[in-house]
Amino acid sequence: MSVAPLLRKIFLVDLIKGLSVTFRSQHPNELITEQYPLERPWIAERYRGQPRMAVNPDTGESLCNGCGACALACPEKLITVTSDRDPVTKKKYMTSYTYDVSRCMFCGLCQESCPTDCIELSQDYEMALYSREGMTLDRVRLEKGPEPTEYAR
Amino acid sequence: MRPFLDYLHSNVTPGEYGSYLWAVIYILIIFAVASVAVMLMTWLERKILAHMQVRLGPMRVGPHGLLQPIADALKLLTKEDILPDEADKMVFWFAPVWVMMIAFLNYVVLPFGRTHAVTDMNIGILFVLGVSSLSVLGVIMAGWSSNSHYPLMGALRSSAQMVSYEVAMGLAIVSAVLMTSLNSTGTGTLSMIGIVEAQKAAGRWYIFSMFPLGLIAFLIFAIAMIAETNRAPFDLPEAESELVAGFHTEYSGFRWSLFFLAEYAAMIGISSVAVTLWLGGYLRPFPNLLSGHSWDLAFSLFPGLVFTGMALMCLIGAARMPKIPQMKVQTIGLWLFGAVIALIAAVLFLPGVRERVQDIFWFAAKVAVFMYLYIWYRGTFPRYRFDQLMNLGWKVLLPISLAVLILTALVGIRQDLSTVLMGVLR
Repeated sequence: MSVAPLLRKIFLVDLIKGLSVTFRSQHPNELITEQYPLERPWIAERYRGQPRMAVNPDTGESLCNGCGACALACPEKLITVTSDRDPVTKKKYMTSYTYDVSRCMFCGLCQESCPTDCIELSQDYEMALYSREGMTLDRVRLEKGPEPTEYAR
Repeated sequence: MRPFLDYLHSNVTPGEYGSYLWAVIYILIIFAVASVAVMLMTWLERKILAHMQVRLGPMRVGPHGLLQPIADALKLLTKEDILPDEADKMVFWFAPVWVMMIAFLNYVVLPFGRTHAVTDMNIGILFVLGVSSLSVLGVIMAGWSSNSHYPLMGALRSSAQMVSYEVAMGLAIVSAVLMTSLNSTGTGTLSMIGIVEAQKAAGRWYIFSMFPLGLIAFLIFAIAMIAETNRAPFDLPEAESELVAGFHTEYSGFRWSLFFLAEYAAMIGISSVAVTLWLGGYLRPFPNLLSGHSWDLAFSLFPGLVFTGMALMCLIGAARMPKIPQMKVQTIGLWLFGAVIALIAAVLFLPGVRERVQDIFWFAAKVAVFMYLYIWYRGTFPRYRFDQLMNLGWKVLLPISLAVLILTALVGIRQDLSTVLMGVLR
């Protein structure tokens, strides 16, 4: 054995190096654990989560004009839109809207196809349920939007 | 009643004073404090280990998981106590009791201060060596009586490891004891308090005397004591990846927690031995460099100042707690905790208390460093293979400790030796 490795061994250089690495990693800035329910992770702007429908903030009316483009665009056929024609103004309007999230793959084609930017996939991700029953969202749920649960100790 | 209280004015241990009652009181206090220290250790170990692995560790039970040990204890005590069908019932029942008894027996001679020891045996360090080697028996009993493969293998490994490391450890201890016989008075001592007083008389801790012999002996002891208490990186008897849990695989609930308590109590006990032999026990730091009356006063104020700082941290933390209803109980708890610590700090500043208690403070601080080192090693080093462990014990530590022992003796008698040599040459 040559001299340098022997000296390293005798003075425990490698062990001390290892100890210094673990000692430095104790610094609180190095923490990567998230206290999930208490503090929420940062979500990217383009994240596609639970769908919601926008309403006109001034009048409270739905932005949806009942065109059904989203239902056509949906590859899984999850969206059903029924519409009617107003006898006075001769304009089409939406009468009911259902969105089945249980099989949704969050591709975002519905929000791409919407001409009035009504349907969109929000950044909410807490969508787990015990059964498929509550997974079909109607117009009321969609317009209310996601309601993230507040957690406290 | 009078002689009972008179003890408080005497300057000796209960054993020397000859008061059984005070000895029992000391035993109870030491047992309680050691158990609390073990609980704290489990929390600290999980927390520090987690930070070393860039995790948070326990966070949910109390502020920063402070109440986690209590939750753990409740869980362990209410758990079913399984007794395997094929086990040797008597031995299986007795093994954890034995291990725990042995772990706490060491505390009888540990000097936490000049007057703070149950008794000062004149064979103190010999007693510690003898008692700590008995804990192997408990491990073997546990492994054998479980009637299962893994515990048996763990027990065999453990016995081989503990027995072989005891040799190097004993030789390191002998070289420290030898140093006491080389002091100005020229008479050696095996008593724990005597060893500390010898360091006081010599004006330096034994880790620094006869440099580097004291340091090497200390390092050998520091390595051997980790193997002796079956801790990482020498935790072969309970290697999780190989032997499930080693000798206590079949134990659960209260009996398992006895093993756990015993392991941590043994860790604290053996660290106390290392502190007593090499790090000046209950003496304050820098006995020779910063000596003099004013330095004595400054160092005796130190424990109170530390507690004041802790109280301030608690109170600032309580004031900075988020003002939401969910945090109300925790905020009140933190205020009360800070107030209690501030009270302790105030008591520590009293002159009478200051003189008597600073011994315990320095001792505890030194032991705490060792406890941190235990956790640090566990967070850093991978486990040794069994043959590597045996090689290290027999081929490295044993020869070095023998050499250190012989060199210490030679350096100690160098004057006599030189006169003899001169006579031969002439």
